[in-house]
Amino acid sequence: MDTDKRLELIRRKTRRRYVFALMTLAVYFTFVLNWTEAGAGLGNFLGDTHISGSIVLFAGLIILMIVFELIFLALNSRGDEQ
Amino acid sequence: MSRLQKTGQVAGAMLMLLVSTPAVLAAGAIEGEIERQPLNPVAIIMFLVFVAITLGISYWASRRTQTSKDFYTAGGDITGLQNGTAIAGDFMSAASFLGITGLMFVGGFDALVLAIGAFAGWPIMMFLLAKRVRNLGSFTFTDVVSMRLDRRPIRIVAILGTIVVVLLYLIAQMVGAGKLIELLFGLPYEVAVISVSVLVLAYVTFGGMLATTWVQIVKAVLLLTGVTIIAFLVLMKTGFSIDTLFAEAAANHPKGEAILSPGVLFNDPIQITTIMVSMLFGILGLPHILMRLFTVPSMQEAKKSVFYASLFMGYFYLALIVVGFGTVIFLYNNPAFFSADGKLFGGTNMAAIHLASAVGGDLLTGFMSAVSFATILAVVAGLTVSGAAAISHDLYAEVLCDGEPDSRKELQLTRLTTVAIGVIAVLLGILFQNENVAFIATMPMVVAASVNFPILFLSLFWSGLTTRGAILGALVGLVSSVGLIVVGPQVWVSVLGFEEALFPYNYPALFTMPLAILTTWIVSVSDSSARGQIDRKNYHELLIRSEYGPDDGELEVAKH
Repeated sequence: MDTDKRLELIRRKTRRRYVFALMTLAVYFTFVLNWTEAGAGLGNFLGDTHISGSIVLFAGLIILMIVFELIFLALNSRGDEQ
Repeated sequence: MSRLQKTGQVAGAMLMLLVSTPAVLAAGAIEGEIERQPLNPVAIIMFLVFVAITLGISYWASRRTQTSKDFYTAGGDITGLQNGTAIAGDFMSAASFLGITGLMFVGGFDALVLAIGAFAGWPIMMFLLAKRVRNLGSFTFTDVVSMRLDRRPIRIVAILGTIVVVLLYLIAQMVGAGKLIELLFGLPYEVAVISVSVLVLAYVTFGGMLATTWVQIVKAVLLLTGVTIIAFLVLMKTGFSIDTLFAEAAANHPKGEAILSPGVLFNDPIQITTIMVSMLFGILGLPHILMRLFTVPSMQEAKKSVFYASLFMGYFYLALIVVGFGTVIFLYNNPAFFSADGKLFGGTNMAAIHLASAVGGDLLTGFMSAVSFATILAVVAGLTVSGAAAISHDLYAEVLCDGEPDSRKELQLTRLTTVAIGVIAVLLGILFQNENVAFIATMPMVVAASVNFPILFLSLFWSGLTTRGAILGALVGLVSSVGLIVVGPQVWVSVLGFEEALFPYNYPALFTMPLAILTTWIVSVSDSSARGQIDRKNYHELLIRSEYGPDDGELEVAKH
């Protein structure tokens, strides 16, 4: 593969890196909503339980970020095979 | 209560999490006079078992540590799973366990901002840094940033960033370690500090990164096991119902249901954002963590390492929800854990240990105390290897010997540097034992985010970066981060005694990191020097090498 083709492939991979990093940063900073007016609803409990939206958000963010990593790894391993 | 008062109240506990070490305990509830606990024989026996196992590992590792590569990177033969566990062991600390739990005991949900901050750096590490850093470097992140830039000046700046972070981290570690061990084991402060240093020297001097890796693996497994056992026992007593857990916690806590939602400890979104920025980008610039990426044989294993590390840490921080609210259920209203004046014995950072006692008796308490001590050893060992590599590899081999050192001399120097760092750690630990080190604990993450991360990220992702821009950006990051910490509440008010801070936040990375990046950008784009042209020209070849491995691409600067 010549240098130009390699660089093009790398640019594509770099865009993917940026997309995943930006998605992660976006979901990460949604956690700040907990302390803003816009996120006031997160303090409410789910139904009749004592589980608040904020706690669900915390657990959900950790799981979501791990899912992002899994998808990223899967896409990369497919790319490496190609 | 004013925002500043609130800041002061929780700052110490937060700091311990910022550096992710028990060190910060020094800044929090374990501050000033410590009420030494009676000698805890179960804890000491368990700890001695840990020491015996880890010294055995060091002996085994010493027979396999013959070259500098063995010393710095364990020969590059660690698997992704092993390295991921070691990364978790290096980063996930007693502070994460004791600190977040203690803060949840006081304020419930708000403490989880520290957990999410400590977790989220890892996915970003995987997406942006793991593969490229692994492919470009040999032993340290300084290798990476010096690849396309003028190696001598940029190495000196990166070494400065490494040494500042490692030393500040070590001070905070040693002071916190001394006080924590005094509290948990009933040992005198000096004995605790010297014990930590002697053990770490035994691991690192003889076994290098291989011994350090296995000490971190053993510690990570023990910590995860301990947290799992406590969480299981707490859930067993709440009928394995998460709802019951939260309901009982709200019923027991003086603040009631408020602890299940945000607002008890923090109420300023900018303060929250500064903490989150400091933690996330600080992780991405920690030299001893980045160094772990070179211990695996390939870029695929580097990515896997970070994934496994995320998995372990994700589990750990989710389990802390149960442990944290468990302390509220089992400790409040139980006079056995409070002194006559209504304070939790040993301070709020002891909440997790008391919980272990409440749900698992003396055996579990001893186990968790031993795990906490083991944690300190693992983190200090990682820091020591990183500091030694900065001096012997980055400075001696690459700068003074121009990349062609006598390998035998380099290894000797590495071991000597390790001993020197151990001695310095003891001296600093004793020197700072009566100081309020909260501000020192803040600095490593903020400096890492404002100095190391910008030059590392821009050298990997921006073709326009020049040596001049990187150096000035890093210096602006260093000066601004240290300066704003000094004029912030932790130093200006708490240490220097002024009435009001000149800068309102303890964690200025939200401001200093963009400032460093902006400076780097402005200086780089206006740099018309010949060296600047070479730096820009080198980028494409660096890019190829960063994706395809070290056999591809030969950079002009690398020929010098």
